[in-house]
Amino acid sequence: MSEITDARPTQHGKPIEHGDPVVVIIGSGAGGGTMAHELATNGVRCVVLEAGPFLQREDYVNDEWEAFSQMAWLDMRTTSGSWRIARDFPNLPAWIVKAVGGTTTHWSGATPRFMAHEFKALSTYGPVEGANLLDWPITLADLEPYYDRAEKAIGSTHRHGRPPLPANNNYKVFANGAERVGYKYYATGPYGTNAEPYDGRPASIQDGFNFQGDKSGAKWSIAVREIPRALETGNVDLRPQCHAVRITHDPAGKVDAVEYLDADGALHRQAARVVCVAGNSIETARLLLMSDSPLHPDGLANSSSGQVGRNYMRHLTGSAYARFDEPVRMYRGETMAGIIADEASHNPARGFVGGFYMETLSLGPAFLASFVEPGSWGREFTQLLEAYRNTAGMWIVGEDMPQASNRVTLNTDVKDQHGLPVPNVHFDDHPNDAAMRRYAYRAADELYRAVGARGVHHTPPYPATHNLGTCRMAERPEDGPLDAWGQAHDVPGLFVSDGSVMTTGGAANPTLTIVALAMRQADHVVDLLRRDEL
Amino acid sequence: MSQRHEADRRGAKDPDDIKRDTSAAVAGEPAQLTERQRAILVRLLRAAYPHDSFPDGPYERTADAVIAATADDQRLARTLGPDLDQLDVIAGGDFCSVDEQTVTHWLREYSEEPYFRAIRGIAVVALYDDHEVWELLGYEGPSVDQGGYLHRGFDDLDWLPDPRIEEYDGEPRPDIITSDTQGADA
Repeated sequence: MSEITDARPTQHGKPIEHGDPVVVIIGSGAGGGTMAHELATNGVRCVVLEAGPFLQREDYVNDEWEAFSQMAWLDMRTTSGSWRIARDFPNLPAWIVKAVGGTTTHWSGATPRFMAHEFKALSTYGPVEGANLLDWPITLADLEPYYDRAEKAIGSTHRHGRPPLPANNNYKVFANGAERVGYKYYATGPYGTNAEPYDGRPASIQDGFNFQGDKSGAKWSIAVREIPRALETGNVDLRPQCHAVRITHDPAGKVDAVEYLDADGALHRQAARVVCVAGNSIETARLLLMSDSPLHPDGLANSSSGQVGRNYMRHLTGSAYARFDEPVRMYRGETMAGIIADEASHNPARGFVGGFYMETLSLGPAFLASFVEPGSWGREFTQLLEAYRNTAGMWIVGEDMPQASNRVTLNTDVKDQHGLPVPNVHFDDHPNDAAMRRYAYRAADELYRAVGARGVHHTPPYPATHNLGTCRMAERPEDGPLDAWGQAHDVPGLFVSDGSVMTTGGAANPTLTIVALAMRQADHVVDLLRRDEL
Repeated sequence: MSQRHEADRRGAKDPDDIKRDTSAAVAGEPAQLTERQRAILVRLLRAAYPHDSFPDGPYERTADAVIAATADDQRLARTLGPDLDQLDVIAGGDFCSVDEQTVTHWLREYSEEPYFRAIRGIAVVALYDDHEVWELLGYEGPSVDQGGYLHRGFDDLDWLPDPRIEEYDGEPRPDIITSDTQGADA
């Protein structure tokens, strides 16, 4: 790696000197972008380092692969373990975004909250063999006021007076099936895309491209709301295409700087009073592991627990695509504006702990072909595509078990474009995950058969968009690297502000909870700074 | 895309690479196939992804995408031509005139061979990203410039009744269901 340079990388907002010890936020997605917005609007100056480019509405395209090439995190990664991803997508464990706004650029918009018992997984479910379950150090009550704020920021439909989205074709199949099998708790939301104009953004035009950044502008994302507003305060220096490579600390162990590479590969050092890491679960763990020091030989914040990188969760996922005699045209309209919550309850009589949501999902032929049954070919494969017009789809998203052996490590045999060790992601399904997935596929079959499906195809988990738990919060330092505020037990001034902090994964899509947790953490950081305790 | 952005992506993966482990692949020139080898590849692709309604165009373009993608993987670039020649040998002369059922039967044996897996990984992206294929399958593509589907049929499904879109307004859903709570309900 090169020598540290003082030259200034391309930036947005009011510049901050490299020697000025401010709050440094690494990553600008749901967690980091929310931190930047909350801190900046409270008068706290921040440098935001974002590895990806500053894509904006005019850059987004209504084309699946073109958008994927434009925004997906495609830096080299490796995989191991018994999961199908290691065979089908060996270098793509996760489907997340490398751009300002992070994976909120790609997210579809489902915003269910965690339930009270999901913060108490160990005491609710009891010990589960092979699972590293733990209760969160916080409760739903701690987060409820922040859930309200997060839903208002996002503009969730069905909440705080926001109207529901109308039923699109895919939802009509989904909701009628739900009604016929006896489900009650279905609706077109809560969903983070406007049914009517709100907060300066237009109403949905049902264009169907939320996954590609949403060129229409109706969808909430960090890139369209929090980032521009944070920049307007004059308290934020946003540096896109700047990849953090090491967090350093002073002799006393308190964080003091972040070293990062700019777009040209030049190395910089930004002084820091506080560091908030929000690089999404794989990259956050990788950065901490790369930031080892004599005081933290196994990686920063990893001394007491040894849990950095462990308990990687990706949610139980699976999809079901059903073929009908009549046209559906599932791609027309809001992709995930359909949620069934009946199966989200914890009901151990089903043969597993935890629960799952069913949510409408649509892919175009380009993505469907790649993900519906990876590796498959021949007539049994092409008949799935032949039926495209008449196909309805749903996604299954549920709680998966944290396991100490499911983990992110540094692969020193393979180097990325900067010459740094790539992250390796090791994953095996827990038997509880497999049991829940089997049950969920059967539930999807029944739902679609109730409205006349000719066949239902079960699609295995995609590269994960919900990546959680590699840096979990825990009451005791020996159980997890972070305390109840997301601050490292072992490293003063070091916070983690993304989905890595989740002690367990819950069933709900995590974005709303990541935003709420970041809002709560920001309040705490502002308070500590005012009291001069950081 | 800006030059900086391009530079940033160096060493990163393309969509047609995502199903292959390229962590040790060496980039270089694409495979130089003969006309015959390319014709075999087109026939192989039609047998692997048979759609009776598809003309040759999408399969021809997919074959060219496979050839171009070998530039990312020199091992595949070297072996692709000889592997395709081998199919003529297996067919006893002319692979292209063998019926689909027989070709499929042969290909089953090679299903897990690295070259056939690699071809499929590239082809499945190229074929179904082809705009002529989208039309044949009934997909309408980009929509935002046409005002989305708001006035173009996002809710035109008429073979089922219009469902409720609001959340259920009866008793709230129990978060936890145990034999005790089920007993209490009953």
